[in-house]
Amino acid sequence: MAAGLPHPLIFMTELNNALGTHIPIHVWYTWVAMLILFTIGFLVSRKLSLVPGGLQNLVEIIVGGLEDFVVANIGEGGRTVFPFMCTLFVYILVMNLLGLVPGCDAPTANINTNAAMAVCTFLYYNYIGIKQHGAGYIKHFFGPVPALAPLMFIIEIVSHISRPLSLTLRLFGNIRGEEIVLVLLFMLAPVFSTLPMYFLFMLAKVIQAFIFFMLTMIYLKGSLEHAH
Amino acid sequence: MFFKGNKEAIDLLGNAATIGTHLVCSTFVGMAIGWYLDKWLGTKPWFLLIFLLVGIGAGFKNVFDEVQKIQRKDQGKGPGVNNDD
Repeated sequence: MAAGLPHPLIFMTELNNALGTHIPIHVWYTWVAMLILFTIGFLVSRKLSLVPGGLQNLVEIIVGGLEDFVVANIGEGGRTVFPFMCTLFVYILVMNLLGLVPGCDAPTANINTNAAMAVCTFLYYNYIGIKQHGAGYIKHFFGPVPALAPLMFIIEIVSHISRPLSLTLRLFGNIRGEEIVLVLLFMLAPVFSTLPMYFLFMLAKVIQAFIFFMLTMIYLKGSLEHAH
Repeated sequence: MFFKGNKEAIDLLGNAATIGTHLVCSTFVGMAIGWYLDKWLGTKPWFLLIFLLVGIGAGFKNVFDEVQKIQRKDQGKGPGVNNDD
């Protein structure tokens, strides 16, 4: 339900009413996204063939393309952290696109989903940095000039903490904004005005998922490479 | 890849989209840290002011880094990481 605007129909409110539960809608739709991904994963892995066809081809294009992109940007060391990023991308993409299905709502239009993913990213890249460099990871926080190290330390801490916040807010703002625009346009002129918007937002949602993925990659690159 | 044709445009869009939010979020994080330190230590305005300035500084540093990265990419020598060692 985008910003309290009346939504024509949401399946999961009906389901909540039918079951008598009070599970929030974004949790339901997160489960739907997980179910979709599990199903696709199961269908693909059940009959793997050397010559890919159909669904396996699509999945291979997505995963292979992303892996090439990551290796081109981070270097060979990126292969160890690639599964995390790929999972994030596919998961966010499915959740974003759920918002375009009539009767569904994007779980990423709720700030809690995004905050959970951003905190995961934050903890993961710091973990990777500590695992890679040990105690030397702290050198990443001191900046290039020794004389300015105490000042740079505070600034770096603040800028690191701001990363999950900016990840959360960007995804939340974009997806929520799109949902609101769709609902408003649907109220003004049903179907006729929302149809062109669907194609624009389909692109925008893919881009948002890709931006989240790319920022995760940049942060992981920063924690993988040596301090300047 | 599925958007091979305009990968550079999407790259640039991603970079441009990050700069603004980084600047704003750093300021707010700095302010929040100062606010809660003041609340904890009872030194009413001082930590708020100091950390607000630090937050603004961090925001500018983020923008500086981003722009440097874009510039380096334009010159076509993005450094890679090798973690074989």
